[in-house]
Amino acid sequence: MHGVLRGLVVMGALLLMAAFAQNKVIMGVSIPAADHGWTAGIVYWANQTKGELEKKYPGIQVIVKTAKDASEQANQIQDLVTVNKINTLVILPYESAPLTKPVAAAKAKGVFVTVVDRGLTDPNAQDAYVAGDNPGLGRVSAEYMAKQLGGKGNIVILRGIPTVIDNQRYDAFMEVMKKYPGIKVLDQKYANWNRDDGFKVMQDFLTRFKQIDAVWAQDDDIAVGVLKAIDEAKRTDIKFVLGGAGMKEMIKKVMDGDKLITADVTYPPRMIQDAMMLTAEARVTGKPMKTPTIIPSVLVTKENAKEYYFPDSPF
Amino acid sequence: MLSVRFEGICKDFGTVRVLYDVGFSIQKGEVHALIGENGAGKSTLMKILGGYHAPSAGQIFVNGEAVQFHDSKAAEELGIVLIHQEFNLAEDLSIAQNVFLGRELHRGFLLDEATMNKKTVAALEQVGLQLDPRRKLRSLIVAEKQLVEIAKALSRNAKLLIMDEPTATLTPDETQTLFKLIAQLKAEGVTILYISHKLEEVKALSDTVTVLRDGRHIQTAPTQDLSQQEMANLMVGRELSDMFPPKTAPEQPKTVFQAERVSVPGWAREVSFELRRGEILGFAGLVGAGRTELFEGILGLRPRTSGRFALEGRPIDLKSPSQALEQGIVYLSEDRKGKGLHINMALRPNLTLMALERYAHPLLDTSAEARAFAENANRFNIRGGSAEAKASALSGGNQQKLALAKILHPDPKVVILDEPTRGVDIGAKREIYFLIQGLAQRGKSVIVISSELIELIGLCHRLVVMRGGRITGLLDQQEMSEPEIIAYATGLKGSHATA
Amino acid sequence: MLQPEKPATKSSKIRFNLSGWGPLLGLILLCILATLLNPAFISLDNVFNVLTRTAFTGIIAVGMTFVIISGGIDLSVGSMAALIAGVMILVMNALEPRLGGGTFTVLVGMLLAVGLGAIFGVLHGLIITKGQIEPFIVTLGTLGIFRSFLTYLSQGGAITLQQDLSDRYSPVYYGAFLGVPIPIWVFLAVALIGGLVLNRTRFGRYVQAIGSNEQVARYAAIRVDRIKILTYVILGICVALATILYVPRLGSATPSTGLLWELETIAAVIIGGTSLRGGSGRITGTVVGAILLSTIGNVLNLTSIISVYLNAAVQGIVIIIVAFLQRGRR
Repeated sequence: MHGVLRGLVVMGALLLMAAFAQNKVIMGVSIPAADHGWTAGIVYWANQTKGELEKKYPGIQVIVKTAKDASEQANQIQDLVTVNKINTLVILPYESAPLTKPVAAAKAKGVFVTVVDRGLTDPNAQDAYVAGDNPGLGRVSAEYMAKQLGGKGNIVILRGIPTVIDNQRYDAFMEVMKKYPGIKVLDQKYANWNRDDGFKVMQDFLTRFKQIDAVWAQDDDIAVGVLKAIDEAKRTDIKFVLGGAGMKEMIKKVMDGDKLITADVTYPPRMIQDAMMLTAEARVTGKPMKTPTIIPSVLVTKENAKEYYFPDSPF
Repeated sequence: MLSVRFEGICKDFGTVRVLYDVGFSIQKGEVHALIGENGAGKSTLMKILGGYHAPSAGQIFVNGEAVQFHDSKAAEELGIVLIHQEFNLAEDLSIAQNVFLGRELHRGFLLDEATMNKKTVAALEQVGLQLDPRRKLRSLIVAEKQLVEIAKALSRNAKLLIMDEPTATLTPDETQTLFKLIAQLKAEGVTILYISHKLEEVKALSDTVTVLRDGRHIQTAPTQDLSQQEMANLMVGRELSDMFPPKTAPEQPKTVFQAERVSVPGWAREVSFELRRGEILGFAGLVGAGRTELFEGILGLRPRTSGRFALEGRPIDLKSPSQALEQGIVYLSEDRKGKGLHINMALRPNLTLMALERYAHPLLDTSAEARAFAENANRFNIRGGSAEAKASALSGGNQQKLALAKILHPDPKVVILDEPTRGVDIGAKREIYFLIQGLAQRGKSVIVISSELIELIGLCHRLVVMRGGRITGLLDQQEMSEPEIIAYATGLKGSHATA
Repeated sequence: MLQPEKPATKSSKIRFNLSGWGPLLGLILLCILATLLNPAFISLDNVFNVLTRTAFTGIIAVGMTFVIISGGIDLSVGSMAALIAGVMILVMNALEPRLGGGTFTVLVGMLLAVGLGAIFGVLHGLIITKGQIEPFIVTLGTLGIFRSFLTYLSQGGAITLQQDLSDRYSPVYYGAFLGVPIPIWVFLAVALIGGLVLNRTRFGRYVQAIGSNEQVARYAAIRVDRIKILTYVILGICVALATILYVPRLGSATPSTGLLWELETIAAVIIGGTSLRGGSGRITGTVVGAILLSTIGNVLNLTSIISVYLNAAVQGIVIIIVAFLQRGRR
């Protein structure tokens, strides 16, 4: 008799716990592994935010997973749903197309999905979208450069890797430049968002063009290589180099009033924090989340650099 | 019916000329034997006729008309088919697929397997084979493969068959079957060009004989006009009375090398023998008796479970060929192309490979190497290539002499030769016998492993016979005879012995 | 038994072997074309730029030539360079407070790099020979291992050399001797020594013998395992030398350091006429191959007649054309 009663009690408790678990927010965060500076920043901010969220909302559980390619990320999403029983997913997809289906499958199981930075091919697979502003980065950069050059001069452009992101930035940049016929784009080449290629491409630009007034490196890693190349060639015609993203070393240079790095344009890896925060708030309070949320690209100059300097972040 | 005439055929491979102005005729419907030592140019000439090589100069006439073959297909269209020494068959395809390879029958888009199988059965019957045409080539024995190759040629309407040493891998029974087939084909009007080393076959089978030597045409004559001895003399270009050098007894019967209770798992059990100064010690036995494996075990080329060794009375350790070389023991493998020589390397580095420290000061003195090569080419009579020519350009006999020169270059005390005359023509054989004898006379100790009993009897001072991984007999000079060796090798005589 | 040797055919010594000159011919043609497109190409500065850039992959390619001739391969060189660079910078930064930001610290860093390269080489060699695992698989494994360790050490970002050390170290890349940049001198020296070792030493001969036919080499009493391990050690040291030149260029190591160097070096070796199956090859060919590859990139940057999207296609076409020019060597 006693045994049966005890069994019933235990069962009841289990059911209750299960019901409670239903209400509890379990958030899976799926992001690319740190394989370059920007993703390293993403990993840093994701882990940082996990701590803040768990402090702020005691009931919440946050699981951060990094993947080294799209297929590993797809498997992780499955595991998060079936093993960790998440009901909320914040994902920065490695690639859009191959991850659309796995994310849609998670959503079909009732998981609330927030997609960050790279949109899925099927927008129905997501509940919310938080992204950086790629055209904005191009636009802000172009406007700054045009202003600094007084609407006149020769510039060269170092691009990233042939992708949609790169095209959006480049197209928006060129769109603005149409308004400044006095600025001549000498040439544009891919530097693959890395330092070594930035160095090489810039070296060849310097060989080829005797008068360059400014360089749009588009990315802070490329800018590191560009600076070295200019330094080695001892060229003084270049007035400034504009990178992008908001790497701490570059922000520091801006803050310190560097001669060539006079400004930077943000495309902050910190957007993962915004995404996680907004999603958690929406889930806990039950209020709808604003979508899409665009994190604007901001011009960083000596005046406001302090706000964008995070010495503890790897990026 | 098809006749062929060669006129002024020359062939150069790079800088090496292998055929000089060869001209002779093959009559319609005859069996024409082509003989010559290795490197005489037989195979090259046949490949030219088969369309595999183009002549550097000269002209081939088929049925009186000048022809030029761009490839073997062009030759095949005229009915000339070369049956390769290493068969040209795909092991993983069926017999029928091989027979119809490259000209498969179709029904619409699909292969017509049924008809091809049926036609293959008919083709196989022509050569006296009754096999399921769907069987994989891999499952056939060598003789069957050869007959399939012939059936394939016949099914392609061959009017002239070129057979390159067809009996080299056949048993006597299988050889007889092949001869019957050749006679039958001849009766059907097929012309046959037959290349062989075996003069008794040539004598028995052919109507006409052509002799090549050193790339030159020596003679074409009716077979009945030549004796085997005359053929051999024409091939070598001199009298061949003395194949073996006279034996001289080792002066001091001092033991140089001792092996005790050597066991190589699966191959040799508790084998012990000793080798004396200036001695040629033979190792006889059937295939699989474990002779090669025993010595590979001794050299450390195979794992060994037991065995102790002594050189000149002092115990030595043998774990690797390099350790053996340090002790002055060298081994020449029976597998010349796979283990003996770097076929793709030049002659000079091949020769000096085992004694390079002699030329390193510390940079290699290549001109000293070249001088050494010239010297050795002379001493070992290595012909057919300059020091910088690739070893693959040499004929089998010259390759073997180079391989010998190579292992002797470090000036070893103990020389182990595994099948030193395999695939070598008569002239080179004789040279190698004299060379081995010369080594013994200069005080080296030589071990010869061979499957040719005549060679062992003619050469060795003492003879070890092995069977199933054990020594079954030790024969001295008086006891050596073919029946006696066979008796020990097959188990009719002898239990276990120690040499 | 003594018969006169067949006279060696005269033409063998006189005949000009065009096929061996394929890569050089290709390079010269490319240079002429580039000069026509943009005369700045032939300027001394640009030539030095290209050669200095080539130094990294060129030095590694010299080491790779040994490995490939012996019948091996090493896919890990790019990752190995990245890891060596990262460790080197971290150690130099850590030593700076105690040893100061001077030449001594830099020298310690260089020595460490060479040591690491040699150790990685020994490791590869041992796993390949004693462990009897295909070199392709072993080095594919270490390719991942080395790079993830670097990524771990850098937390995905950059490992940056401290400013004082960077200033002291930078002449190794940016400095010049007799007007020629240091990396070019090092490249030249490595190539010369490599050529000498390959063609004029016992070791070089053994490497070729093993690659040509390992069995034959084993039967000819060559210590095959030892020689093979040594080829990987040589390659490891070459990677270390390249890294020593690389670090002062940007003063940092990132997860993109040395990316795809393995393909570039292997391509340089093969374009230079070394057979991927091993056995034979030439250091001069490798050097020309390496220069050719970086020249293609340089020419594309100096001109804009071809859409940037087609860069890889141009590289592919040039490589295939050069392969055509040296066809028939085998």
